[in-house]
Amino acid sequence: MSWIFGGSKTPEQKEKEDAVALKEKLGFDPSQVADVGTILNSPGVLSSASLHPLSGLEKGIEYMDLEDEQLTTVEGAQGLIPSRNWTDDLCYGTGAVYLLGLGVGGAYGFQEGVRNLPPNATPKLQLNTILNHITKRGPFLGNSAGVLALTYNLIDSSLDAIRGKHDDVNSVGAGALAGALFKSSAGLKPMFYSTAMMAGGAAAWCGIKAVLQQQQKQQLQQHEQPLQ
Amino acid sequence: MSADHTRDPCPIVVLSDFGGAFAMGVIGGCVWHGIKGFRNSPYGERVTGALSVVKTRAPVVGGNFGVWGGLFSAFDCSVKAVRKREDAWNAVIAGFFTGGALAIRGGWRHTRNSAITCACLLGCFEGVGVLMQKVMAQPQQNIYGDAPMSA
Repeated sequence: MSWIFGGSKTPEQKEKEDAVALKEKLGFDPSQVADVGTILNSPGVLSSASLHPLSGLEKGIEYMDLEDEQLTTVEGAQGLIPSRNWTDDLCYGTGAVYLLGLGVGGAYGFQEGVRNLPPNATPKLQLNTILNHITKRGPFLGNSAGVLALTYNLIDSSLDAIRGKHDDVNSVGAGALAGALFKSSAGLKPMFYSTAMMAGGAAAWCGIKAVLQQQQKQQLQQHEQPLQ
Repeated sequence: MSADHTRDPCPIVVLSDFGGAFAMGVIGGCVWHGIKGFRNSPYGERVTGALSVVKTRAPVVGGNFGVWGGLFSAFDCSVKAVRKREDAWNAVIAGFFTGGALAIRGGWRHTRNSAITCACLLGCFEGVGVLMQKVMAQPQQNIYGDAPMSA
């Protein structure tokens, strides 16, 4: 997010890091190079080990190390699936919650349709009744859930960028703000309820996430142990 | 054609596309229906009118976009898995299935026409993409010159 609010690193620090990164990438330090002769005479430059097309494989991916592909560096923002930046969080979060809402609403509509089947209806009419109920309930719940998730993720990413780190306080605060905004035109009482529900939902998600991350960590450790 | 490294691997990218298309639809719907509601409301109630239209219509636009994008992405992944190759035809085939799936409740004719329209649309997109790639690509230069005394 540094492109909106500016990075939290000092310029000197960043310069130093850039220089180190450039040196690793090029194999020499560009600030010490005066002319072509220095490059050619410096030891190891013309060795076959570094000129071979397949050299440097142990350094990992170099050509494809694009800026866009780096994972997020915000403290504490490493989620369940790898995320590059706030747009990834936004897309995955909104998509997951939207699909969840669509599924739950569709299931509710399905059982409602099954219960409201007209007596001695033809199979075609039965199918249509159930589908009508599903498409009435599913998209409504999905759209509302999706908008809530979208607002939540936008606010959450903004808070992360402003505070420079991510923690549970951010999530719960973003949930509360999103809930308040969602019902802001319906009056104080609905606003309060939706705020409380969204804050509770965000807190519950933080808890689930912590448990899942703990399990991931344990599994990783179990996989690593036999190697040693 | 080399793999696109800016996009995530297949099964999980469906989720991302759902969310991305939904977000695009909601934000676009806010702008579109905000302006429309503002213009269609009587003087004195323009802001409230715009707000209420946005509240009712923008999520629906988002939902429509999201379902389209997500279904397309899911079909795209399935087509890739079946054909085991990546080219422009994937998008056309996925567009065909998406258009058909979304119109399936309108009867056989509607399904067929919608599928063909959607495939043609995606074909146009892909065609324009290929053309743009050719225009943008650097022209091949013969850096060695003609072979001297080739006779």
